Amino acid sequence: MALSSCTDLEIEESDSIISEGFQGLADASSTVDQLYIRLRDHYGNQSNRFALSEVTSDAAIVPTRGTDWGDNGEWSSLHQHLWTPEHVQVINTWNEFNGSQLIASQVLDSRSNPSATNTGDASFIRAFSMYTILDYFGQVPFRDVTLPSSSVPEILTGDAAVSLILADLDVAIANLPSVSAGSGDANGRASKAAARFLKAKVLLNKQVFNGSGSADGADMTAVISLVDEIAGEGYDLQAGYFELFRDSPDNETIMWVSSEVGNRIFNGLHYNSTSEGGGGWNGFATLAEYYDLYEGDPNSNRVALDETPLDGQEERRGGVPSAGLPFTSRPGTTDEGGFELSSNVGNGFLAGQQYALDGTPLQDRAGAPLTFKRDFLDGTGSPSIINNDETTGIRVIKYAPRFGAFARHEIFFRYADAHLMKAEAMMRSGGDPTAMVNELRTIRGATPLGTVSEQDLLDERGRELFAEAWRRNDLIRFGQYTRDWLFKAPASINNDTYKLFPIPASQLLANPALIQNPGY
Amino acid sequence: MKITLLKSFLLVGALLCLGFAQAQEITGNVSDATGPLPGASVVEKGTTNGTQTDFDGNFTLSVGENATLVISYIGYSTTEIAVNGRSSISVTLTEDAEALDEVVIIGYGTTTVKDATGSVTSVTAKDFNGGVISSPEQLIQGKTAGVNIQQSSGEPGAGISVNIRGSNSVRANNNPLFVVDGVPLSGDNTSPSGDSGLGATAVRNPLNFLNPSDIMSISILKDASATAIYGSRGANGVVIITTKSGKAAGTGVFEFSTSLSVATPANEYDLLNRSEFLSAVTQFGGDASAVDFGAATNWQDVVTRSTASTNNNLSYSQNYGKGHIRATFGYQKQFGVVEKTDLERITGRINVTQRFLDDKLTLRFSGTISRVNDETAPLSATAGFRGDILGASYSANPTWPNSATFTDGGTQILPANLLAFSQNRTNTDRFLLNGSAEYQFTPELTGKINGGYDNSESENVSVISSNVQNLNGIEDIGFGVYNRLERENKLLEATLNYKKEFENSSLDVLVGYSFQDFQSRGRNAQGRGFQTKSLNQMGDDLRATVKGAESTISGSFQQFFYGTNSNGLIVNRLFPSVVAGDEIGFGFEKAVSAMTADVFDNTDELQSFFGRVNYSLADKYLFTATMRADGSSRFGPENQYGYFPSGAFAWKLNEEDFIGDNVSTLKLRLSGGLVGSQDGLGYGNFVARQRFAGVGTNTDLTVNGSGLTIVATDVPSLKWEETLSLNAGIDLGFNIDRFTASIDVYKSETTDVLLRTPPASPAIDPFQFGNVDATIVNQGIELALAYDFIQSQDVTFSAAFNMAYNENEVQDFGGAINTGAINGQGLSGAFAQRFEAGHSLYSYYMAEFAGLDASGQPTFVDQNGDGVGDVFQDKIFVGEDALPDYTGGLSLNLRVKNFDVSTYFAGQFGFSVYNNTRNGLFTSGSITNARNVTQDLVTSGEAAGTSADVSTRYLEKGDFVRFQNATLGYNVPLTGEGLFKSMRLSVTGQNLFLITDYSGLDPEVTVATGDLGSGVPTRGIDWAAFPAPRTITFGINASF
Repeated sequence: MALSSCTDLEIEESDSIISEGFQGLADASSTVDQLYIRLRDHYGNQSNRFALSEVTSDAAIVPTRGTDWGDNGEWSSLHQHLWTPEHVQVINTWNEFNGSQLIASQVLDSRSNPSATNTGDASFIRAFSMYTILDYFGQVPFRDVTLPSSSVPEILTGDAAVSLILADLDVAIANLPSVSAGSGDANGRASKAAARFLKAKVLLNKQVFNGSGSADGADMTAVISLVDEIAGEGYDLQAGYFELFRDSPDNETIMWVSSEVGNRIFNGLHYNSTSEGGGGWNGFATLAEYYDLYEGDPNSNRVALDETPLDGQEERRGGVPSAGLPFTSRPGTTDEGGFELSSNVGNGFLAGQQYALDGTPLQDRAGAPLTFKRDFLDGTGSPSIINNDETTGIRVIKYAPRFGAFARHEIFFRYADAHLMKAEAMMRSGGDPTAMVNELRTIRGATPLGTVSEQDLLDERGRELFAEAWRRNDLIRFGQYTRDWLFKAPASINNDTYKLFPIPASQLLANPALIQNPGY
Repeated sequence: MKITLLKSFLLVGALLCLGFAQAQEITGNVSDATGPLPGASVVEKGTTNGTQTDFDGNFTLSVGENATLVISYIGYSTTEIAVNGRSSISVTLTEDAEALDEVVIIGYGTTTVKDATGSVTSVTAKDFNGGVISSPEQLIQGKTAGVNIQQSSGEPGAGISVNIRGSNSVRANNNPLFVVDGVPLSGDNTSPSGDSGLGATAVRNPLNFLNPSDIMSISILKDASATAIYGSRGANGVVIITTKSGKAAGTGVFEFSTSLSVATPANEYDLLNRSEFLSAVTQFGGDASAVDFGAATNWQDVVTRSTASTNNNLSYSQNYGKGHIRATFGYQKQFGVVEKTDLERITGRINVTQRFLDDKLTLRFSGTISRVNDETAPLSATAGFRGDILGASYSANPTWPNSATFTDGGTQILPANLLAFSQNRTNTDRFLLNGSAEYQFTPELTGKINGGYDNSESENVSVISSNVQNLNGIEDIGFGVYNRLERENKLLEATLNYKKEFENSSLDVLVGYSFQDFQSRGRNAQGRGFQTKSLNQMGDDLRATVKGAESTISGSFQQFFYGTNSNGLIVNRLFPSVVAGDEIGFGFEKAVSAMTADVFDNTDELQSFFGRVNYSLADKYLFTATMRADGSSRFGPENQYGYFPSGAFAWKLNEEDFIGDNVSTLKLRLSGGLVGSQDGLGYGNFVARQRFAGVGTNTDLTVNGSGLTIVATDVPSLKWEETLSLNAGIDLGFNIDRFTASIDVYKSETTDVLLRTPPASPAIDPFQFGNVDATIVNQGIELALAYDFIQSQDVTFSAAFNMAYNENEVQDFGGAINTGAINGQGLSGAFAQRFEAGHSLYSYYMAEFAGLDASGQPTFVDQNGDGVGDVFQDKIFVGEDALPDYTGGLSLNLRVKNFDVSTYFAGQFGFSVYNNTRNGLFTSGSITNARNVTQDLVTSGEAAGTSADVSTRYLEKGDFVRFQNATLGYNVPLTGEGLFKSMRLSVTGQNLFLITDYSGLDPEVTVATGDLGSGVPTRGIDWAAFPAPRTITFGINASF
């Protein structure tokens, strides 16, 4: 029935740019900016990518303390390997990185007229997004933006997915600028070095993605040469471990993202740990077994007021000072009446009694001494992931709050990781990684190892890269992700189901080509 | 051709009749108790011969010798009087409330109760609820079967939830379409939401602009046969509000009413006092001395209050024969029972009707102008783990002193501090103009053009000063939000109406065209880093800075902002081409350190063609057929137009010979039809759209720019959601309708459900509007009974009762959507409801609580068979939902001479409330952390530091009966000689008592705690809801 219309009922382009279907972006550069903002938001959060990488491993646990951190079980189920296709962080991670992948595809579409740098940035972010989805879910949905939005995306797995990611990275390497080490702000965006780092990461994990289970020699050679190319632009190991996690330039930082680091800081700290930022959130802690990877007194982790370790620990384990660290002449800090606000918190792994700036032993909110304990016990004294008090668990601090809790500078890719990737590639292609691992250990003030086994290499990665969101990835590549650890559900031990996260249930309805991962 | 023949035949017949009768001239006068009645209809019985009374109530008519005159006037009993050869007749009509009842406003016309084919209920002024009424829908709360009007909050001016026959839609806006004097409103909020610093405040009720005392009647169209004339917006029912006119006034009447109301919170929590608190802290293993700040404060009393409110209305109305006029002025100031909540409303309204050209042309004009000033405390449904000012007052340590400057150095909200150093004000100006011209071409054919213009401008300024404590990013800095929202709704309608009486039947045909245009535009801005601590000055500074910055920008723009990291004002532009980060220098005074602003402007259009045919045969068989075609700019070319047909049949059995005389009414009604819904969909969801992503000020006073992002993905197939509804009803009346009953049975099925669901990844927005393959079924029964027990000169007593049963079920849906966010400490990501096939909307989904074990730890029923009852792994549908199965109301009205008493009880049954307040605040984890709790927790046996996750432990039956309203009135006997023509004194109590097992303050509650992004709204969740007030109102109404 045709009706004569007095109005065409067409909507007007009054406050947004309208097109029927995707016809190209209005301004590719601006959308690339937004892609970096997304990366910042997705990476800086304690949930989603960070939690899926850390809390699902032996490196992090978020026990329920009274009513705190119950949160619909989202934390305990991650650590216990009891997540389901409804897990909100699983769904969010899927959505976040798939979304970035699609936006990057839109930038890369010729109708968006991307510049060479736009193409490099978008290719890099698309590769990282697809890599993340492949790593977590084992399948990557890919949408061709030239097709109508109602079309159903194709699903890529294994070598096909890896090829697509590697192809993007080659485009990224070709189009991105060369940014040398220590360039400060320029390291806040992707560069040839960042793309090479990611390519090395993808090649190293390819045996997991394609299910072959053994490293391909050519891939390992490629990893080694990619790391060498990165080093060729001046990137190198650098002494002074905790100085690396500041917003000042250094030679190790290949790429950082502009997330506020306060999120990493306050997650673990107790409410009374510091007055900065309103105190901590008293959640994240690490397992004693992870803490025990480091040398040093297992029951004490103190440092002197000049940060000299007092318990035989290596530099990376940090330590707790008995009072605020005096202002003296520490570069880049500001004076707070002789002490740096929150300089009483310490670095690295916080165990035992905690102190206020003036040296007073801190108490928890119920008035008990604030001593961070190795174990997780409930009110009846039994090991438990729920009903903990406020003091259980050793806390982890990588970004020292006295350097600015709200500094927007979080490490994304770091040369020490590249260095260890090269060592691993050598090991996986029949070489000996001992010298390389000891090179790092020497810089970190740790005792050199005799010979480095596969286990040693995994442990070294754990020690060097704690809280940098690589632990799950490493454990899977080294075949240890399904082993038993504290509070892992019995049925999940040695259960391969949990090596991949489940596809969100609503996606199985929306795209029939998606097949739920086995076991869910 | 046939019609013409029939007409000629009738004409000849009439002439013949006249020829035989002996004509005579009769003059007369019609009056009512107050004087002459202009405009009354005088008709010779059995003929079309008639006239109307003039300005002085006089008439002249040529009639037959033995004629009987039928004299009628809306609102008065129709009187028949035999001429008996007299040449002059004087008649006094008596007011008849029943008669007034009979006229029912329906879409684009009126009908009578007797002739209605659809399910339509009308409530008129005399039956309205009394007391403090801040919004029109409260006038009819509980008065009508199947219309569930929820008090979403006791806050003055709070939003509304009106559900007609259950919930058809799965979107936040399940409200019906509101039509005010023929202008369909847009249904969107007219005031922007502010940010209390803890989350957004609740939006205001869009009907606040109407003065309830201006309303004459409210019609509720319930079934598709009645609502189909509103097409794509009729699925949730239609509420037609008609304002008072001067028609019944006669020679100028002033009416004045004033009332004073006193309100107190009807209920409060049984919190621990100082000493109880300290001993409870010890009992749960804490160090009482560490949390004792020395004072004894009842924080609940600090935040709530008893208040006095006033409402004053003055009206003048006059009927001068060729027209009538009514003008009113109203002023209401209502204070909420929470500190810093109030609503001030100033309204003016005028209704004018004038007839021209031998009464063939009728012009009508009505206009409302209103100003509503709202103030609200830091109240927010989504305040997160600490709760808003109410939650904070419940959990505040009672040993804290009641001092605005006190701080414990912790992380809790300090109620006295936050109250003193925050301010949230909204001003809304709105005018609604409506003009129509109706011309009678022939006695049968009438045409009408109707224009409407609805304009609102609203500003919200909410600020928190740097004096506030324990709020990161605001403490020592100051924060403010300044939002502006303008809406403009234009309506143009043309209708043609053909009415024809035949010998044994009558026909009423309506065709029409309607065009409506809804524009909304505005600006959302925020500022951080204030130099002043004065709340008023902060608001002024923010406004001046935003407006100052805006005035320096030339050309079009979407965003402008600056922070301490900017070297100039940064502007993001979309048109004529995209410019990101255009830096234009600071040509204005920066009174705040960081500021961001984002503008929006969009327009939706609706074009409709409609028609309706009413045909009645032998005054026994009534037929209605309706069709509307709606074109909407919210949908793409594939589905721009929707067609909404309906049909209805009614059979007046009481007109049949085989029904006895004692049955005064017996009518059977059947109807069916298709209606649509597009509310909540919003602008441009079927095309791809790009805008700059949102920007905000950082806590370090910098601002990061944003890039262009896709805000909508094209969904070319997007269409309205459709509801097929069927209705069968019986109306019964005995003993000249002294007893009446009405029963309706209905079923409606909503398909193509418009819902934000996850599209196939990769997608930019994880939720996007689409038509989901699901069916939502509502079926139920409605019953209304009324009986006049006593009808004597001095004493009358009547009762009216209504009851409705509704059953809701989601069917044919493949997925499961979690909703009903639960807030509180350790409850991030927690939820209580799930949308899934086989269950009602708002069904509760959670672990089943199995009691506390010997050590005081909660245990749960094992559902998945792994031998362990786990609160997270063992969730099920627990068989409860938040939609009441039964709703009912009972009114009792007694009049003894000049005294009258009316009472009204309301009840809802068969639903559950999730007590989020108890779950989020009153736990052992709270007392362990030195947050206050209720008395019952202390003796509950719960161990210290237990986790408190969502389970049936906090799910409670919500069934209640409320003594909603009681009015005692006295009509002062007046001679009519003095200044006053009438005077009435009254006292009204509202919410006098509540019978319920629910342990919270009030089970009739819905706090929009969040939907986890799905867009499926929450219902039945009590998260520190605004306390319902108990109100006593003293009123005087006088006319002179």
